[in-house]
Amino acid sequence: MVTHRMIVAAAVCAAAIAAKPHGVCAHAFLDHASPAVGSSVPTAPTAVTMWFTQQLEPAFTTATVIDKSGNNVDSGPAAVDTQNPTELRVPLKPLPAGTYTVTWHALSVDTHTTQGHFNFEVAGR
Amino acid sequence: MESFLIAARAVHYASSISLAGVFAFISFVAIPEISPRLGQRLSMLAWASLVLAVLSGGAWLVFVAAQMSGQPVAATVSQGLVAIVLQRTRFGQVWMVRAVLAVILAALLSLPRGWRGRLWNWGGLAFAAGLLASLAWAGHGGATPGRPGDLHLAADMLHLLAAGAWVGSLIPLALFLAGAWQNADPGARTLRRVVTRYSVLAATSVGVLFAGGLANTWFLAGSTPALIGTDYGRLLLAKVAIFVTMVTIGSVNLLRMLPRLAPTAAEGAPRQRAALSHLRRNALVEAGLGLAVLGIVAVLGILPPGLHTEPGWPLPFRLELAALEPAAIAALAIFAALAVICAIIGVATAAAGRYRAMAAAWASLIICVAAGVFTARPAIAPAYPTSFYAPAEPYSAPSVAQGARLYTESCAVCHGANGKGDGPAAQVSPIRPADLTAPHLFAHTPGDLFWWVSHGKANGAMPGFAAVMSPADRWDVINFVRARAAGVLSQKLGPEIATTAAPAVPDFAFETQNGQQTLHRLLRNGPVLLVLCEAPPSAARLAQLDAVQRGSGAAPLRVIVVDLAAQAMSRAETAPSPPPVAISPDVTATLKLFRTPADGPETDLMLDRAGNVRARWATGKGGVPDAETLAKDAYMAAQIPASPENHAGHIH
Repeated sequence: MVTHRMIVAAAVCAAAIAAKPHGVCAHAFLDHASPAVGSSVPTAPTAVTMWFTQQLEPAFTTATVIDKSGNNVDSGPAAVDTQNPTELRVPLKPLPAGTYTVTWHALSVDTHTTQGHFNFEVAGR
Repeated sequence: MESFLIAARAVHYASSISLAGVFAFISFVAIPEISPRLGQRLSMLAWASLVLAVLSGGAWLVFVAAQMSGQPVAATVSQGLVAIVLQRTRFGQVWMVRAVLAVILAALLSLPRGWRGRLWNWGGLAFAAGLLASLAWAGHGGATPGRPGDLHLAADMLHLLAAGAWVGSLIPLALFLAGAWQNADPGARTLRRVVTRYSVLAATSVGVLFAGGLANTWFLAGSTPALIGTDYGRLLLAKVAIFVTMVTIGSVNLLRMLPRLAPTAAEGAPRQRAALSHLRRNALVEAGLGLAVLGIVAVLGILPPGLHTEPGWPLPFRLELAALEPAAIAALAIFAALAVICAIIGVATAAAGRYRAMAAAWASLIICVAAGVFTARPAIAPAYPTSFYAPAEPYSAPSVAQGARLYTESCAVCHGANGKGDGPAAQVSPIRPADLTAPHLFAHTPGDLFWWVSHGKANGAMPGFAAVMSPADRWDVINFVRARAAGVLSQKLGPEIATTAAPAVPDFAFETQNGQQTLHRLLRNGPVLLVLCEAPPSAARLAQLDAVQRGSGAAPLRVIVVDLAAQAMSRAETAPSPPPVAISPDVTATLKLFRTPADGPETDLMLDRAGNVRARWATGKGGVPDAETLAKDAYMAAQIPASPENHAGHIH
């Protein structure tokens, strides 16, 4: 009897795998950022904040911001929020108008590393 | 270095499972029947497992520290990075707790036999189970945030514990059977009792493994393309196949061998001895297969889950179930259910040795599959290796605007400036270029379009652009083409909430009094009314929209007012005199795709929570909606479930 139940369970398992469920993320990827990815802001922000899909390890998560000519414009190291470990914040120097690139390296608490970059623009006034 | 990490993980999983399995076997299967000799052997097995677990756990820690810091292994040790990992990461903290558990287990195993009682058994089981289950924190499940993360973690722990109880106690079972075989008179009733108890433990574990594996597949693979199109998914399928083989062997043991352990007088001892050695061999084969599964698990843990790699679709076709009539889908479900039943009967009759019934069952299965294929025929669409790629560029205004520029450079010559397939080169082309504004565009996945833009069409009419455009550029063009077609499709909508929505408005960023906001984030709160104006809206209209947003309607409706001509944006909540804020021309250009000249000064779009357009009004086409209509439609739009978020918006 046990076998038959096992076979039924196997069939149910296979059917459920074949169906198309939704997923929850497993590596830390960028969910959204402020300033938004690719967006243009009228006034210079004082920091770039990034929200990830997973909790981050502060000791091994970094981000830098550079301007068009490759100079660092962040005014300090990136810090993971102590209240919300999915949030990473980089303080910025006062930014003139121009395009800036944010590069991030994230280590999620499941020991996996991910990286990426995006641009934002400070519009001239 | 990655292969060393995989090896360390495999050994660590195997040894932790073996250690938990010894205690599970002693506690659940063999307590009264354990002979001193078997007890000694189990003790040695536990010691060996513990030592291996400690060594491989240490190796895992060092390799992970090297991977986290990007430094070579030697530097990781000499620069004290291991200490940083131990103190300042969750992985390290879990490892310290596990080290304490290992020390306690070593102390328990050092106790002389006389001191070992029931408490020793259960204590050892608890600590060994803790050592095994805490591995879940080192896996994918430990990092999912929120309530789903807790569920995922719990599922992983149960999965590990069940594996420990079943696979881990296979070697102790084999040792027990070997002892019984060597012993001239094993005692048929004792044998039967132990094997039956083991079977109950194994069957329970198999059930838990199924449930946990199912949850894990859901969390990490997510879809059929991810399952058969990625390394992660294929390894997972291999794991399931080995698992099914193990369950089959276990079932044969239970059904065929168990009765032979208690032979009648006529059959005699030789039959029992044959069954014993058969059982022992099967247990060892199962343990070997279990080791193979653990090897796969070790690899899976360092691969990005199927959800986060682009699946290469291996088949030249795919099933587009949405293209089928509801009746056809129902028929397909019935055929699938019948096929499953036939398969079950087929396996059951084969196990029972009734081969004619088995042949009939398999024949019925083939008929069911054939009928299913015939029913599903209209849903079979051509597919390409990239069909299930998620766009690498987010569907948002900056990408759409960049795509529009690239489209003018490279695509307009054939497909026409407006995408109707009427560019200058179309006149001389033997095959008419596709109309990229037709609703049919959305019958193709973004990945299908990516294949054509990259490699051209097989009929030779369209060239591939892989050599001249970067992948990001190609995705930008696709985002633009889809946004434009969405705009054209949305013009067919009227003032009633449509059951079939026009595709989504691209995401865009805009300024509010409280800083930057994006459409997607605003949509998380509920439906949005997007008001696109060619001239500054009147103060009265702004006040009216403001009232709608603040109104005590059944569902909250957020309003975004965009003055396209002034390239300025305001939100109705700042009415009646909103300060104009500069917005990027990218956003204006993108939103203009959702207007036509016939609309007059104002176009209103009702967006559901997924950003799809559900209703549309225009001054020139029946006028703009009043507060009452908006409140009613907002309530209806709020009832529409937001389709699950995919990862297309993420930057990898």
